Amino acid sequence: MPAKKPTPLQAQDKLTFLLSLVPYLVERDRVSVAEVAAHFGVKAEQIREAVRLIAVSGVPGETHTYQYEDLFDIAWDDFEENDQIVITNHVAIDDSPRFSAREASALIAGLQYLSSLPENADRAAVASLMSKLSRGASGLPSQVAVESGESDDALALIRESVAKRVQLEFDYLSSTGERERRRVDALLVESVDADWYLRGWCHLREAIRTFRLDRISNLTITTEPISHTAGDVTLPETLFEGSADDLVVTIDVSASAEALLADYIPDGAVRTEVDGRVRTAVRVSHYHGLKRLIASMPGVATVVEPPEARQIVADWASAGAARYHG
Amino acid sequence: MPPESSTAKVPVEERLFSLVLALLATENGLTKNEILSTVQGYRQSYDHSGDNANLERKFERDKDDIRELGVPLETVQAPGDPGNNQNLRYRIPRGAYELPVDVSFSAEETTVLNLAAMVWREGSLSAESRRALLKLRSLGVTADEPVLGYAPRVRVRDAAFEPLSAALEKRAWVRFSYLKPGESEARVRTVKPLALIQHQGRWHLYAHDDEGVSKTFLLRRVISAVSTTGKTFEPLEGNQSELALAELEEVWNSHVAFVEVEPGSDAHTRLGKRRGTVVAQTGELELHYSDVNIFADELAGFGPEVLVVSPPELRAAVIARLERTAADHAS
Repeated sequence: MPAKKPTPLQAQDKLTFLLSLVPYLVERDRVSVAEVAAHFGVKAEQIREAVRLIAVSGVPGETHTYQYEDLFDIAWDDFEENDQIVITNHVAIDDSPRFSAREASALIAGLQYLSSLPENADRAAVASLMSKLSRGASGLPSQVAVESGESDDALALIRESVAKRVQLEFDYLSSTGERERRRVDALLVESVDADWYLRGWCHLREAIRTFRLDRISNLTITTEPISHTAGDVTLPETLFEGSADDLVVTIDVSASAEALLADYIPDGAVRTEVDGRVRTAVRVSHYHGLKRLIASMPGVATVVEPPEARQIVADWASAGAARYHG
Repeated sequence: MPPESSTAKVPVEERLFSLVLALLATENGLTKNEILSTVQGYRQSYDHSGDNANLERKFERDKDDIRELGVPLETVQAPGDPGNNQNLRYRIPRGAYELPVDVSFSAEETTVLNLAAMVWREGSLSAESRRALLKLRSLGVTADEPVLGYAPRVRVRDAAFEPLSAALEKRAWVRFSYLKPGESEARVRTVKPLALIQHQGRWHLYAHDDEGVSKTFLLRRVISAVSTTGKTFEPLEGNQSELALAELEEVWNSHVAFVEVEPGSDAHTRLGKRRGTVVAQTGELELHYSDVNIFADELAGFGPEVLVVSPPELRAAVIARLERTAADHAS
């Protein structure tokens, strides 16, 4: 996964911020810059800059010359000396702005996607929340949607284990095909599209591990207290980390399908394109995963080398086909 | 601090903010000339005797930028002088601008909305979510600290997503080459884009053709750039994304496959956890799917762990795929 890029605020974001900040400040008689910064999740200096701009803004007014009474004003001494914001005069804006249709749409689709979370088990509450977003939008939000998942019992148990500060226990079928009973302190649930993962401290491996939820079975909550919480460990940025033992395999893939393999292509891999076929490299931790990946892209991706990898894929597909001839 | 003292260039956000304030404050609207000659950020560059074409273009762009944020910037025809562009008046009606008073969110709801916004970390939807969250913060509600941390993410990797999303917003007809699953030749399609839907981890476009027949396209099979034809269309009745999801669900429910899986295998564990999977009395898995060709790819990945019992077309598709992969990798 690519590293997070800091996103600079564009003029539209800055305007949204100003239009959002004004009603928040008007609602409060006095508030510290630090509190506002924490609430909006931005740097204190960004709040100060915005307040300085708001304090000199206003409407042209009857005279068309921005007279004093047509401008916002703040208690400057409180602001300059105590880092406190007190709005003493406000114009034009009282209340928070509506969502745009697309903004409401993004949140509604996000809620649909998260409908398997225990937090969203109350379907009536989620429906009411979506309808409020629709009513709070300036246009009809319907352009984007995501299939709703079913309530997931595993997620509810994982959440319960964190609330009770106890270990989880489950059978795990690893990506190399081994089945083991694991004891885990749950730290974070992560998802990518239709795939859900638990990241936790594995007591068997004594390390942070990532588990696919669809490979977990017989999940229970133990009475054993946890030794690690989300607060005291730093999770690696990526779900799966490369290791020195990884195998690098040369493949040919249709240019149109290359994006599907993006997670497996190492940074700086050599890439040549001939007639719509791309020759590049993928990194895998073992052939067990590679043969499944390649067999799920028939005619689209082919292993070029090493010969051992080609043979493993050929054997896997042949064994599959053989089940039908017998 | 009178604004007259600011002779330096006025930042864009200050000009946009001043424009919104001015248009919210006016009852009857302001003409373009009034705006350009009096509003902070424009008036500094306004030429009282000359040509203000540059400034007018800037105003046109600003209007678009402001409307994109959901601000209802209206144009009002001058009474008695309709059609005269110089006398058009601009305003932002307060009722359509402000969040209705009965729309408020509890701490619990705010927590869930924070998560919903986190889902979009790529592309234009991440900007929309970020702005939606600012507006939510504006209401002053503090979110509850979640018991368990979540890091949800929906990817928007298909190149067609952004151009289709933009066309949808503008209700513009689009044209692209589409390679239908199971076909070897792409065909050019010209459709009205109505909704973008993620189903089973894949993005789909829901659209109408020129006869008003609904079509669903897989975004990853759009193999050309998406272009707009220059034509736009009127909004359609009904919630299009709901209709689209309902159609996809109907297809999903109507396609049933029976497969044997190797006990304890990856196929057993993962297919058993698919939505809607039932273990039949024979021990076979009863599975639902959307498209025979796409599902055949997925099943082929499981190699000998899976044996498709029915339907025959899925069985044949899986066999063909396994044989193809074996042949492509023969030494």
